[in-house]
Amino acid sequence: MTKEFAVPPVDFAGGSTAGANFQQRRVPTAPFQPPRPSSVSSSIPFMSFDAASAAASTPAGPFGGTIASSSSFGGGGYASFEDEEPLLDELGIRPDQIWKKTRSILNPFRINKTVHKDSDLSGPIFLYLALCLFQLLAGKIQFGVILGWVVVSSIFLYIVFNMLAGRNGNLNLHTCTSLVGYSLLPVVMLSAVSLFVPQGAGPVRFVIAAAFVLWATRACSNLVVSLADGGEEHRGLISYACFLIYTLFTLLVIF
Amino acid sequence: MYNNMGPQPGMPRPPGNPQPGPFGNPFTGAGSGFIRGGLGAYGERILGSSSEYVQSNISRYFSDPQYYFQVNDQYVRNKLKVVLFPFLHRGHWTRISEPVGGRLSYKPPIYDINAPDLYIPFMAFGTYVVLAGLSLGLNGKFTPEALNWLFVKGLVGWFLQVMLLKVTLLSLGSGEAPLLDIVAYGGYAFAGLCLAGFSKIMWGYSYYALMPWTCLCTGIFLVKTMKRVLFAEVRSYDSSKHHYLLLFLALVQFPLLIWLGNISVNWLF
Repeated sequence: MTKEFAVPPVDFAGGSTAGANFQQRRVPTAPFQPPRPSSVSSSIPFMSFDAASAAASTPAGPFGGTIASSSSFGGGGYASFEDEEPLLDELGIRPDQIWKKTRSILNPFRINKTVHKDSDLSGPIFLYLALCLFQLLAGKIQFGVILGWVVVSSIFLYIVFNMLAGRNGNLNLHTCTSLVGYSLLPVVMLSAVSLFVPQGAGPVRFVIAAAFVLWATRACSNLVVSLADGGEEHRGLISYACFLIYTLFTLLVIF
Repeated sequence: MYNNMGPQPGMPRPPGNPQPGPFGNPFTGAGSGFIRGGLGAYGERILGSSSEYVQSNISRYFSDPQYYFQVNDQYVRNKLKVVLFPFLHRGHWTRISEPVGGRLSYKPPIYDINAPDLYIPFMAFGTYVVLAGLSLGLNGKFTPEALNWLFVKGLVGWFLQVMLLKVTLLSLGSGEAPLLDIVAYGGYAFAGLCLAGFSKIMWGYSYYALMPWTCLCTGIFLVKTMKRVLFAEVRSYDSSKHHYLLLFLALVQFPLLIWLGNISVNWLF
């Protein structure tokens, strides 16, 4: 026995009509509602889910129902496919910003604080992944350890800076984590370099490590002091705290 | 030997801005704003009612922590000299007090070399952990878990030191010194430990000479400081009991610091 289904005709029209139809999109309907008369043929045929078609394919019934409901939620805010933002913009990751900020750390003697004014955490995440990758190449699986230590050390620097700066200290945790993360760049480079320096705790390793630690300390403390108020007269005290943080990460790399 | 930046008692005091003393209003400054913002929010979430309950409790147990971070480079240098070589301190050991709003409170660490601060203990603790990791690594036994255990061991040692000081105060009848003061005094031992640890890395045998020296110096420093604290806090002055307790304090430093300084992967030696 056959049943009559109100399935709208699927239109694979090519040529000039496709361009016109592309602008219209069939509004996805809730699963158990009759198809609206205003819905014209969709230019994206696979979007034409419907209660009838969902009921027709009973083995995929619940699946189709969930797809329909998710498409009805997902299709919501945008008029058409072209109006959606690119993925990276939507996630807030700006590669050119990240590159600019990373490049500014490369020169520890000239601080470019305007680049770091709006803090973001995606650059630190890339640097963290790069550090973990180089550690992995050295045979040490330390993903959780490094993440935990980054969190703890940024909280430590946040507390120490705000306590020292007193009334007018205004470093916030997001900026602090962002600066600590970006200043990990020298440590990442150290871990890459130490893959090629011969093993064994020779003085060469320590000298190279010390140079990178001092670089990272200088970058971080200069940035922190120039970006937040209240730190100028405590520069030495804050840079000692940064020194401790980066020595800790260097211990992971050289041992 | 060094310039004491603060005025000696009796000299005219500089018209400084009123710093909140340890017994003053705990809700000024970024430090207390940090407390109020951070912990107050938790208070509202946990208790449901206003956060004043949490705030009043916090202020009863922790005096304003911002007082302990009013330091500068010169204070840190001089204080380290006092902690590491206490017998060379020529001045007096009492803290300078000033009347603030009708109550007597102590001057902040910038103006008074004898005031406790929390910057040096925290940094010394961090340096101790880093140096311990370094010495573990030089012996080939470095793993991140070992470093975590050393961190916990250091915290336990600090806690034991604080308990020791607190019990000493309590057994003499009055334990009313602010908790953060005691935490600060307990943390100064780590400065000597760092020196000993550093010398161990440089040349292994110097550790055996420097360790008793560190214990002795920390003992002397604690004895002199606690003597002043006892004078200030305790009502009755029972001379022999005071002195025995102070001697006990100095003697216990030896096993405690040797335990902390013995950097290995096990818990106990």
